[in-house]
Amino acid sequence: MDFDFTVITSHARFLGSGIVTTLALSLASGLTSLAAGFVIALARLYGPRWLRVVVVLYIDSMRAIPVLVVLVWTFFALPLVTGLTMPPFAAALLGLTVHLAAYAAEIVRAGVESVRPGQMRAAVALGMSRGQAVRRILMPQALVRMLPAFGSFLSITIKDTAIASVIAVTELMRQSETLAGQSFQPIEVFSFAMLVYFVILFPVTRAVDFVYRRVAYLGRS
Amino acid sequence: MNLDWSVVWQHRDALLAGTATTIVLTVATMAIAVPCGIVVAIMRLYAWKPLAVLATAYVEFFRNLPLILVVYWAFYVLPILTGVGLSPLATGLSALALNVTAYNAETFRAGINSIRRGQLDAAMALGMGRAQALRRVVLPQAMRRILPVLASTWVSLFKDTSLVSVIAVTELAYVAMQIRAQTFRVLEMLTAMAVIYWLLGYPQAKLVDWIQRRFAVTE
Amino acid sequence: MNSPATGRAKSARPMIIRYQGVIKRYGAFQALSGVDLDVHSGEVVCLIGPSGSGKSTLLRCTNGLEPTDGGAIEFEGAPLPRDERALRAVRRRMGMVFQSFELFPHLSALENVAEGPRTVLGMDRPGAESRAAAMLAKVGLADKAPNHPSELSGGQQQRVAIARALAMEPDVMLFDEPTSALDPETIGEVLNVMKTLADEGMTMVVVTHEMTFARRVGDWVAVFDVGRIVEQGPPRQIFEAPETERTRDFLSHLGWNG
Repeated sequence: MDFDFTVITSHARFLGSGIVTTLALSLASGLTSLAAGFVIALARLYGPRWLRVVVVLYIDSMRAIPVLVVLVWTFFALPLVTGLTMPPFAAALLGLTVHLAAYAAEIVRAGVESVRPGQMRAAVALGMSRGQAVRRILMPQALVRMLPAFGSFLSITIKDTAIASVIAVTELMRQSETLAGQSFQPIEVFSFAMLVYFVILFPVTRAVDFVYRRVAYLGRS
Repeated sequence: MNLDWSVVWQHRDALLAGTATTIVLTVATMAIAVPCGIVVAIMRLYAWKPLAVLATAYVEFFRNLPLILVVYWAFYVLPILTGVGLSPLATGLSALALNVTAYNAETFRAGINSIRRGQLDAAMALGMGRAQALRRVVLPQAMRRILPVLASTWVSLFKDTSLVSVIAVTELAYVAMQIRAQTFRVLEMLTAMAVIYWLLGYPQAKLVDWIQRRFAVTE
Repeated sequence: MNSPATGRAKSARPMIIRYQGVIKRYGAFQALSGVDLDVHSGEVVCLIGPSGSGKSTLLRCTNGLEPTDGGAIEFEGAPLPRDERALRAVRRRMGMVFQSFELFPHLSALENVAEGPRTVLGMDRPGAESRAAAMLAKVGLADKAPNHPSELSGGQQQRVAIARALAMEPDVMLFDEPTSALDPETIGEVLNVMKTLADEGMTMVVVTHEMTFARRVGDWVAVFDVGRIVEQGPPRQIFEAPETERTRDFLSHLGWNG
């Protein structure tokens, strides 16, 4: 059994574009789902009752439905409903955001609920309005406390982009799959893909851990 | 746009079979991954150094790879490496088991570590061997913390079985998408697929919530 | 049980807080069953009694952190408002110090003390910070201004908390068991700051277990038990010649032998 890794080097650009797409999709969907998740969490924490019910239903539904199903539905079924076709990348971005925002919302909620209630009391006792207290005292601490979970969120986001290969997004998984099929050298190609994903993912959680340990005291009340 | 939802009913047998396969995959994976996870966790914590390092490498490796890649790798590469040709189902099961074992190993390790060292010391001071002390004193306490996480992993696994559809394992996602391809009823079948997963997964998610509330640890 | 105006040497001073028949319930539990108490300007009123007797509850009702279920609380001649916005205006004139300090961990000591003036009083940053620096100096922690709460001892944190309340220039200071969560070595530094405040004429309502402090610094002591005041009077009366059995019981359980 001999391995010939030149298949990797001779298709560097092909695979490279896949890596770029993976990173772009990860970054984009990470940001959008964090933003959406934040808003959703606020709705759940401070919104009127009917909104809270809707939000909880949405969050629990995303715990039940696989990412693959959401992506496939967004790409193939949604255009039939709206009449608009979407390029694969956009469909992947939308699908991933819808799925990941639920997870992000739970992280935000857990962070906020972990802040001591005494902190709000102290802020209110000073004469702050509830809004001021939430903005200036509660949120900064909650953000710090969310950091550890944020690391695993990033990790999951990046891993989920690989599923977008199923709807023809030309990220790394898709490119590897194509190349492995064409070159009949799956071992070399998939080993390379595994290496790349590992190199991207492994430092991510470590880096978040590192940052958290240095700022943890800002959230400890 | 005319919709024909009867296509879902017409293919209910296939969908039911697909659902059964999904459930079988989930159960079988957990049946393998829980004991293996315990073994790997123990290796990481207490084994002879090179073994411990190997165990850690395994865990870190599989926790930092997308599952879908592991599925493809298992399909294309495993037969070449091992010389054994496995059915898609067995291949899918292997990939899932490899992945979930790594997560479980981390869960067990963190759970065991969360029990104060003093508990193990006290047990061993009484004269118990380490294995005995772990079994009788540490693991039962750690279970309180481990169970909710395992429940959560179970629900994730249930969703992840959909990924083995890419290697043509006839679980729910694959079956639904096959029917879609045959009947061209895209919206109906894909929506039905989502609804079936929702019907199966929602109660499981709520059950996990209950388990987490029930086993909430307050020190 | 009401206390007569006799023996109240400072009753000529204006009344800052008046509690009349204050009632507070938590579900089926009656936390306060009709509390009558007057607090005059410049007085140090100490609330003592067993845990769960309602002392802290009364304090939290005073600045509207908890609404009352009956009776009336008057602050500077006007009834305590129910409306949240009006309550906020009242809270600005009251300072509160908590048992668990509740310093804001993401801010330095200076920023903690400046937070009230900045956010609530609308002062600009340099103005708020210079006032904060002055308050920190007043409690003896000028050099700790840039430190975060995690770098301070319990006693230091509580002193910063006092400075934070003082920075609002309140008319009355409310202390909720300020030293209960402190190591014995650091209790003294906090009590000293409180004594200085008292000597300067600050009106204070203090829930405390520190009997020596109540005896030496208090002008009026109210003994609580199961949601009502069983006895109130000058420290000399309470600690040397208590008039009720309950007070005698409570003090003897604390090992207080006059």
